[in-house]
Amino acid sequence: MLTVLRRYGTLIGFAAILIFFWISLPDTFMTARNWLNISQQMSMLIVAAAGMTIVMVMGDFDLSIGSMASLAGIVAAILFSFDYPIWAAVSIALIVGLAGGAVNGLLISFVGILPFVATLATLTMLSGAAFVVSGGKTISGRVIPEAFGNFAREGISLGNWGGVAVSLPNLTIVALIVAVLVWVLLEQTTFGRRLYAIGGNSEAAHLSGVAVRKLKLIAFALTGGSAALAGVMYASRVASANPTQGSGLMLNAIAAVFLGSTLSEHGEPRLLYSIVGVLVLGVLDNGLTQMSVDSNVRQILVGGIIILAVSTSSYTRRLR
Amino acid sequence: MTLLSLKDVTKAYGGVPALKGVDLSVAPGEIHALMGENGAGKSTLIKILAGVVAPDHADIQLDGQPVEIGSPRQAHSLGFRFIHQEFNVVPALSVAENIFMGRQYPKRGGLFVDWRKLNQAARDTLQKLGISHIDPARPLGSLSLGDQMLVRISSAFIGDDGAPARLYVLDEPTAALSRGESERLFTVLRELRAIGASVLYVSHRLDEVMAICDMATVVRDGRSIDTGKIADITHDDLVTLMIGRRVEEAYPPAIAAPRGETVLAAQELGIRGGRNVSFQVRAGEVLGIAGIANAGQRNLLRTLFGDLAATGGSMVLAGQAYRPRSPADAWRAGIGYIPRERRSEGLVLSRPIFENTTLPHLAAQSRWRIWLTPRREKRVTSQQGELVRLKASGPGQRVRELSGGNQQKVVFAKALLGKPRLLLLDEPTRGVDVGAKFDIYSIIRDMAAGGMGVVLVSSDLPELIGMADRIAVMRDGAITDIVAAAGLNEERLLNLCYGR
Repeated sequence: MLTVLRRYGTLIGFAAILIFFWISLPDTFMTARNWLNISQQMSMLIVAAAGMTIVMVMGDFDLSIGSMASLAGIVAAILFSFDYPIWAAVSIALIVGLAGGAVNGLLISFVGILPFVATLATLTMLSGAAFVVSGGKTISGRVIPEAFGNFAREGISLGNWGGVAVSLPNLTIVALIVAVLVWVLLEQTTFGRRLYAIGGNSEAAHLSGVAVRKLKLIAFALTGGSAALAGVMYASRVASANPTQGSGLMLNAIAAVFLGSTLSEHGEPRLLYSIVGVLVLGVLDNGLTQMSVDSNVRQILVGGIIILAVSTSSYTRRLR
Repeated sequence: MTLLSLKDVTKAYGGVPALKGVDLSVAPGEIHALMGENGAGKSTLIKILAGVVAPDHADIQLDGQPVEIGSPRQAHSLGFRFIHQEFNVVPALSVAENIFMGRQYPKRGGLFVDWRKLNQAARDTLQKLGISHIDPARPLGSLSLGDQMLVRISSAFIGDDGAPARLYVLDEPTAALSRGESERLFTVLRELRAIGASVLYVSHRLDEVMAICDMATVVRDGRSIDTGKIADITHDDLVTLMIGRRVEEAYPPAIAAPRGETVLAAQELGIRGGRNVSFQVRAGEVLGIAGIANAGQRNLLRTLFGDLAATGGSMVLAGQAYRPRSPADAWRAGIGYIPRERRSEGLVLSRPIFENTTLPHLAAQSRWRIWLTPRREKRVTSQQGELVRLKASGPGQRVRELSGGNQQKVVFAKALLGKPRLLLLDEPTRGVDVGAKFDIYSIIRDMAAGGMGVVLVSSDLPELIGMADRIAVMRDGAITDIVAAAGLNEERLLNLCYGR
């Protein structure tokens, strides 16, 4: 009984939430349209949480992804205003993300600063940089190419379901691709295996010939890169960029990975579980919004659910 | 007369029985050995005494009165004191602060800590153990492992007002101690016995038990097998009782293998914190490294393994210049390494056996160095498991769930994968039970017979004499002698270690 609760407590809770919304919102919640909508709302968080999973596998975390996402959106928007083509602006924004993440990795693995301190410092710096580059203003309107804004609004048509046109949003597709890539990286490659070894015991990994510092640097760079991608996706979705629009991403991404890791037998983060974590947060957000629950109350509920899930999991683990 | 008596103690963890019926009785003023292989149930029994684990059933009597031990606090008030390997200490705090942790510090003006008094009290406490070389004001973390252990031990000997200590429980206290340090501890234990306190002593080192204990209780598979006077029992009988079968020889016979070419030659190799050393290891040879604690053995191995940069000199491995800049270089060059601390340095406890085994060899065990091939890894790991006589439910079992001896076998399986040329062993049988020890010795023998060169660092002198072909003696960071192990006795080797 306890083992069931420990392993599947979060899933059981998720099912309860689903049933609750299904009953409370019989007409709108369990519809294909709503779920595609949820998938689009969650797509940025999926990308950010997937990136966060990479470093959390090593037992580290990255506080700077929110401001990295904001900065990447700003960078892309500024480059648009200099008439850069979409592909170039987006690529440069992603490179900024990879580079920023690599700086995090450098500080943590080669200089030896704790991830908390290092990424807190870069959080501040990146956020400041986003304000400086943008002049503190929202960049929107004509400078943003139409095609860039349309990307988020379009998708692959899935035909007519019950007389309603449904399509798989482009942002959802991007998120799925990123999720698959990160899953392959963490579960199918020697790189991922070594990251898990570092997370389990970095000294033993080092003595087993794992290049701990180099791998940490690469992992943080990837996390920075995915944060930048999430930021660009956000900019596309709202067809504008402002220096604070990614700020909610960091806490939610960490929360999703923690929620997900309660599903794994040994408490390790895994990509699929992180996606479940994102789903829980996304469904809560969607359902509570539809029930017109105040957004501040929503935050209290979400925080409470995270505490509940993680504490049940660690409490039942201790009872063994 | 009985101080403490336990009858018919049982305990199961989630349906798996750990104790199936243990009886134990300790008289006042007695040093009582609790013996058994890893997994026999000793730790569970001690945890029950400490009030950390609740037994399913137990009749516990103290001075003939039934008692219950519901919490560590209760155990303390009954007069039980515990000294175990994984003791909670704060390395950044001073020796004195660690000794007096959880107790009242002497105060000045009722508010400020009187550091002078605190340090003096700590010095007095250490003095009781005959320790005068440890400065109580130094951070604990700056001391050697052996000294740290002495500090932990001494903190259990502080007199408490209110609850006088009746029974000291020591779990493998000498694992990190040098011979001299152990002797000091034994002196204190004998003094405690003289004033009527009792000691429950858990150790794998039979010689120690034979030397200082009065009585022994042997547990096997969760049952107490026998209790008797140490004076009436032989070393071999104890071993037989513990593992349930007779082990004829402590060390497997040496296989006369033709000594091959030189595998590793170190020429004036500069060791950090030590001096330059020169030596050679030939194929099929076991080179022992002896010395008192911290004579430079550990740094020597870490330099050979590329974890410490050499400060000078050169190495030749199998005829080629060898300049490792990381452990990864050493693995690639065909060197396998068994680190001293298997839990903190040797294993990723949270991961399965096969992931641990293939970790240093992933480039060879994967497709194009990138794609994992778990099925092949598991197959290879099963073969390695047979080689090292690993007892596990399968290659996918988590290492954490294995006993100490089997964990160490995983470390061996890892080091031996891909048939290294040279095997570096740092205390390979530390904290390993008798049966697994013999297995490990056999593995070392087999590997040497197959042409591997072996470097064996050990503080267990009989082990060195029994296993090595030649023994290099280290003192103050330098190799002072290299002698043949044949015909060497313990006393002579000890004298060499101390430079007498």
